[in-house]
Amino acid sequence: MKAMYLANYFVAGCIASSLLGWTASLHPMAFKAITFLVATVAVVWTLCWLLDFSISQLLKVSVSDLQAVLVSGLAMLLIGFGVFVCT
Amino acid sequence: MHLKMFVLSGAALTLWLTPLSALDKRIGWHKAMQGVSLCAAIACAVKAGNIAYKLSQQGEIETIKERAITADVIDEISTSAYVSQQQRQHEAELILSPVECLERSLSLDCEEPGHLERSTEDKLAARSENPDLEQLERILQLQARGYGKAKIILEVWGVSKGGSPKYKAAEAEYKRLVGE
Repeated sequence: MKAMYLANYFVAGCIASSLLGWTASLHPMAFKAITFLVATVAVVWTLCWLLDFSISQLLKVSVSDLQAVLVSGLAMLLIGFGVFVCT
Repeated sequence: MHLKMFVLSGAALTLWLTPLSALDKRIGWHKAMQGVSLCAAIACAVKAGNIAYKLSQQGEIETIKERAITADVIDEISTSAYVSQQQRQHEAELILSPVECLERSLSLDCEEPGHLERSTEDKLAARSENPDLEQLERILQLQARGYGKAKIILEVWGVSKGGSPKYKAAEAEYKRLVGE
């Protein structure tokens, strides 16, 4: 059952990424805003990946858990945008 | 609950993929439908995730409960087995001890062959009439029923608890018989 709820939240993240892509396709300004948002997320993601030990101590989680969250977040973003672009 | 979760998960996937692949992004109302269906898909996925999380928590609690019940049952069985073993051992010792005494007496009597038959009969009769054994048997029966010391003394000797000399004598007799 734990796998089921993790899978559902993962799917929710993927759909949210697709929704971001859909929002970006509405208007050029929206596209710019979403691009800026994605760039910010990318910078934060990279910092978190590089400073995983410090961040894990700050958030009081294990390093492996933090890395799992980062990797799954990246996968959600890629799958969501991929589905939106390819369909 | 499980069915609802699976239906919501399926609905989330359907609402995510179907409008994106089936509808045209260049047509205005198609695009609007895609947005609406994506929002609905997110709501379905989150709801399904919440239900799955609740079920997972309930499953963990049930597992903990089952473990606790199993541990209690094992503890109870082992305790009762230990108690019954002790009781049986005590009873066996009590049963064996008069026989040993008798054997010892018989072996002593063998030195006097003339008195052997009469003496043995007398001793057997004395053993069968021994009130200690009867009292002890009664005490063990009451202990098996879960009676305490005061209640056993009341049942066997008919003396209620107190500082009376009768009770003290009965208590001493009880201790002697039980071997405390």
